Amino acid sequence: MAARPTTPASPKNVKINSPTPGMPLFGCEHVQLLLSNNPDVINNSIQYYKMLLRVIFDGNPLVPQTCKGLDGAITTSLTSNYLCLQCSAIVPEEERTKHGNKKSHRFYVDSRSGSLFCQVCEDFVWDPTLDDLRIRKMGTGSFSSRKRKHEEMFSDAVKDPLKDDPRYISSNTTIASCRADGLRGIYNAGATCYQNVVLQSFLHNPLLRNFYLSDGHQSSDCQVPHCLSCAMDDMFQDFYALENTNGYTAANILSGFWISEKKAFENLVTTKEQDAHEFFQFLAEELHERNGDGKKPETGSEHSCNCIIHQTFYGKLQSQTTCQHCGGVTNAIESFLDLSLGLENLSQKRGKKASKSAASLTLQECLDEEYIKSDKCEYRCRNCNSSQQARRDHSIKLLPNVLSIQLKRFEFKQGSRDRVASKISTKVQFPLQLNMLPYTTRGRTADARESQELRRSCTYDLLSVVEHVGEIDTGHYVTYSRVGDQWFSFNDHRVELAKKSDVLGSQAYLLFYIIRSLA
Amino acid sequence: MASSNTGKAGVIRAPEGAGKMDQLAHAVLDDLLYNIVHDLLMQTHREEKIARASTAAIRVEKLAADTSDSSAPDARPDVKVETDAAIYDEGKVLLKGNPLATTKDIVCPRCHLPRLLYPTDGKGAKKPDPSIIYCKKHPYIDKPGYDIYGQTWVAQGPGRGKKKKDMEKKLEQNSDSQTPGPEGGTGGGGAASRPPNMLSFPSATCSKCKRCILVTRLNNHMGSCIGNSGRNASRAAAQKISNGNNANGNADGTPPSSQKGTPRPSSRAGSPHKKRDSDEIEDDDDTDNDSHKKKKLKPTPANAANKKLILKHKNASGNKKEKVKTSSSLSVEQKVDDDDAEGSTVEVAPKKRITKVPSPAKKLKLGASKPLLSSPMSKSNGKTSAPSGGGDDDRESESSGTLSSPPVV
Repeated sequence: MAARPTTPASPKNVKINSPTPGMPLFGCEHVQLLLSNNPDVINNSIQYYKMLLRVIFDGNPLVPQTCKGLDGAITTSLTSNYLCLQCSAIVPEEERTKHGNKKSHRFYVDSRSGSLFCQVCEDFVWDPTLDDLRIRKMGTGSFSSRKRKHEEMFSDAVKDPLKDDPRYISSNTTIASCRADGLRGIYNAGATCYQNVVLQSFLHNPLLRNFYLSDGHQSSDCQVPHCLSCAMDDMFQDFYALENTNGYTAANILSGFWISEKKAFENLVTTKEQDAHEFFQFLAEELHERNGDGKKPETGSEHSCNCIIHQTFYGKLQSQTTCQHCGGVTNAIESFLDLSLGLENLSQKRGKKASKSAASLTLQECLDEEYIKSDKCEYRCRNCNSSQQARRDHSIKLLPNVLSIQLKRFEFKQGSRDRVASKISTKVQFPLQLNMLPYTTRGRTADARESQELRRSCTYDLLSVVEHVGEIDTGHYVTYSRVGDQWFSFNDHRVELAKKSDVLGSQAYLLFYIIRSLA
Repeated sequence: MASSNTGKAGVIRAPEGAGKMDQLAHAVLDDLLYNIVHDLLMQTHREEKIARASTAAIRVEKLAADTSDSSAPDARPDVKVETDAAIYDEGKVLLKGNPLATTKDIVCPRCHLPRLLYPTDGKGAKKPDPSIIYCKKHPYIDKPGYDIYGQTWVAQGPGRGKKKKDMEKKLEQNSDSQTPGPEGGTGGGGAASRPPNMLSFPSATCSKCKRCILVTRLNNHMGSCIGNSGRNASRAAAQKISNGNNANGNADGTPPSSQKGTPRPSSRAGSPHKKRDSDEIEDDDDTDNDSHKKKKLKPTPANAANKKLILKHKNASGNKKEKVKTSSSLSVEQKVDDDDAEGSTVEVAPKKRITKVPSPAKKLKLGASKPLLSSPMSKSNGKTSAPSGGGDDDRESESSGTLSSPPVV
């Protein structure tokens, strides 16, 4: 029998969710019986469920996966075991019924997902109160409702009326049509697919969407002429409030872009594709200026601002320089909008080692190269008062909510006469789920790497991929974005369903990962 | 577990007589497959069961509201009712049995209309019940060549990248495919050959000069209109001048001022349309052989909204062309012309007069098939040529009117 902590959790009073219209109060009649008992039973059941969730999600997964079989042999299985909600038994699936009949225990918790199984229904039960706890635990690692639920971020836009007073919300908001789900294409206004892909990735970013749909920047109140943030506001309204399914004409964005064109791109030719990454930077900075403290973000400095763009995209990078002579350490911290990962060196190295055909990289290898390995540099040490060899380590001090990664596919090569832009089409494999802990400053210590809690807080899910297809001059940009669990491909005004394999097989240029739990 | 030669799913089996490690490896892989399927199933199960449970709840709540028949619809009625799937008891909804068994369909939690459960087209499609009003959120369509709403688009030709050349070709195609608009009524084939859910390119207004520009040209336009591209502008001007020779009747310069203005009464709009009609006929004659191409783009008469879009679109493309071809000196003249339309003469006007002659006849012939043509406004038959265009039409007629108004007045 596996050792399981039996200490009861803090005897706080737990409540059953209050009834909400359109949702039954309990997952099934049997849960209803359990949770309509006297307060003590209710309290104990919920506390015990929470404890089981802690065992499943915080502890070592070996514990819930191990059980004692019929013959007394202890087995650890890869597939789900069932943790009895009414006693401390852990049984494999085959013996669930037997245990239930013997002890007349009705409820079990799946050892891999924490879901509740009702023996009487012979089915999994999604009780609003208990499942809420599970989702919260799974998403944020805590039961506190202060933190955002993992699911809420991806559920339908304006769906849930807030619990405090639903009527207040409904009388002061307009409910968008069920058809308006934000899935529309954007017309190509003549070589503007580099803008469209970035706009689509913004449109399906839950943080930006919530900001704009909750009147974070009201275009009716804004006095700035040709304000790009107003144009964004209008665009979000058009995508999430109108029933239109045809493409969107991003005329205001385009004119806003042209009006402030000099800042962003030096030699802009209308008929030529531009770099989507540059447009991303341009748009982020522009929106920061409209919504933030008005200061221009300086490169190489630690810039803190609580505008929506900073809250969404900006993280902090620490570079630690260690003098090889005296061992003195200097830390420099700077804000970053995105992580740019070089491909060329790595793919060349790889090319030498292995045969050239097998030259495919993984995103983690690229991250390792930049944020785990250290490099050497010349450095003027204050202690030694002379120029010394130094070791430089980069790590991420503060992870952003939406991590944007650029894979440097376009590079200028020093040709014989002038610099020639070229594209590196090395395949880079990237995961749907990314753990950033090893690249953080905190993740440097071994025990931090062991912590499930910390691990979970550094887990990112893939949100959008911007792909560049074709050659450097004649190429085209396409976005893949996830809405809920469904992926869509946005190719200018065409929106189509996409398979995960399409997404993962794409030649990514920009990657947007969103943090799983908002702390 | 290592004793058996497979895992829980029983799909991956080690061969008979395989070594212990071999068996273990097979068992592990088999278990992992089992877990993947298990997780996927759980996710779908959860979505489906919650949706059905909430459907049961919505139904019983509605029943409760109907039974209580109170004047305040928002208040929770203090009644106890039940359906096959749920019980309503003073504001609380309790399930009866497993919603997966008791409730067969899903109701939208927002609009309370039934959800369409299958896509209407493409993969896994089923015909929806026409007697039911469904929630507007439909399952997405998975069909090659169509988007998630079952819309298709104007083919862009091979290759994903679009170059300037391609774009111009397409534009041309668009503009001459749309000029013979009235003919669509007589042909009748236009509606059939062009699917009603075809997406076409709309126009947008430039925020600076307020001109209506076809969206595919918008970036280009803004670059020269807003952007500082003086070099571009001069290059464009040079191009215009060189193009000026082969610019025939189509190349009537459109003074921007007329487009900015609100539509004016149609009294002046009579003549210009004759000119336009004549152009159309010319086009028809010239390009009969690629009429199939045109038909593809022809607006369906049934779909007025669609038509409007396209007409607008035509204006835009037409104007744009004109703009490109107009040298700056010409446009100045035309501005004057616009202010004082009656007295002015324009160089291109004579050409108009010649080509205009056959137009009324053709127009009338066409008119038979077009219901709106028989309107009492036959005096200004130009107006009838574009019945659904609304304000845009007036604008267009006005703009072309600046050139050809003298003959009629």
